[in-house]
Amino acid sequence: MERAQKIMDGFKLNWINFRDADNGKIIWQGSEDLSSPDVEHEARVPKKILKCKAVSREINFSSNEEMKQFRLEQRVLFKGKCLEEWFFDFGFVIPSSTNTWQSLIEAAPEDQMMPSSVLNGNVVIETKFFDGNLLVSTSKVRIFYI
Amino acid sequence: MGLLALLKKLKSSPSKELRILLLGLDNAGKTTLLKHLASEDYTNVTPTQGFNIKTVQAKGLRLNIWDIGGQKSIRAYWNNYFENTDVLIYVIDSADRKRMEETGFELTELLEEEKLAGVPVLIFANKQDLLTAAPPAEIAGSLQLSTVIRDRTWNIQPCSAVTGEGVEEGLEFVSKTLKDVKK
Repeated sequence: MERAQKIMDGFKLNWINFRDADNGKIIWQGSEDLSSPDVEHEARVPKKILKCKAVSREINFSSNEEMKQFRLEQRVLFKGKCLEEWFFDFGFVIPSSTNTWQSLIEAAPEDQMMPSSVLNGNVVIETKFFDGNLLVSTSKVRIFYI
Repeated sequence: MGLLALLKKLKSSPSKELRILLLGLDNAGKTTLLKHLASEDYTNVTPTQGFNIKTVQAKGLRLNIWDIGGQKSIRAYWNNYFENTDVLIYVIDSADRKRMEETGFELTELLEEEKLAGVPVLIFANKQDLLTAAPPAEIAGSLQLSTVIRDRTWNIQPCSAVTGEGVEEGLEFVSKTLKDVKK
């Protein structure tokens, strides 16, 4: 089997969650197979997440294969426009490993925050995983504020 | 002091990514320590089969903490994560006297790594909440820390990742050291 195929087949995005970074409590967690590439997943997140002073996003993934130049690109899109962008280089991934990456960020000041009614259903978090230039996995989660 | 607070203390430093590497034997409490730093529940922590990374960002500064699994089979891969490390935190299970020699051996190996040369080391003598825990002086003695650690800033800090005791003091050391790194 081709190496690229082996890497992709052996990769699994296990879960994603959002936490209130002040108290570490999970606000939302999705554990359906988030890496199926053509499906847009939906997260119904309590509105109160917008009041958090700091939020964390955490991703848990497994890889059967060793990777040497593993990296991630995460974008927060509002109506397709990029609001926020993260690049992260993991570098080496241990074969048969399960790993997590958590990013904690401070929220924008309240007066700069768009209201939940505007954001509702218009925000998509797109996460792409690469080994070097090889796209290993894509996941899209659309956020609904309830 | 949580992670955001730690980062804010450093905000005056030039914007750069900072890398903290968390190592130690399996069951030393690395992941629990990381959970404590993010005020998260640690009751469901399971052995790390790879890495756990926490990235904290505020005001243009980014701090990455890398917690790599400590099982013997994983230790062989540790050297893939040494590069660009600003501070090494080595966690010891102070109550695991049977493996004191083993943890000393792994620490000595790390200290001899070229890629970690000169990198400041904080040793967390963890699990001080347990009655059987060895005090830091005893650990420092049996690991001969003052002999094996040369040419770098270091400190041994008793702590409990479960109660949080001593963690703050350890972070103070880290934040002071990182400030010096920047100069």
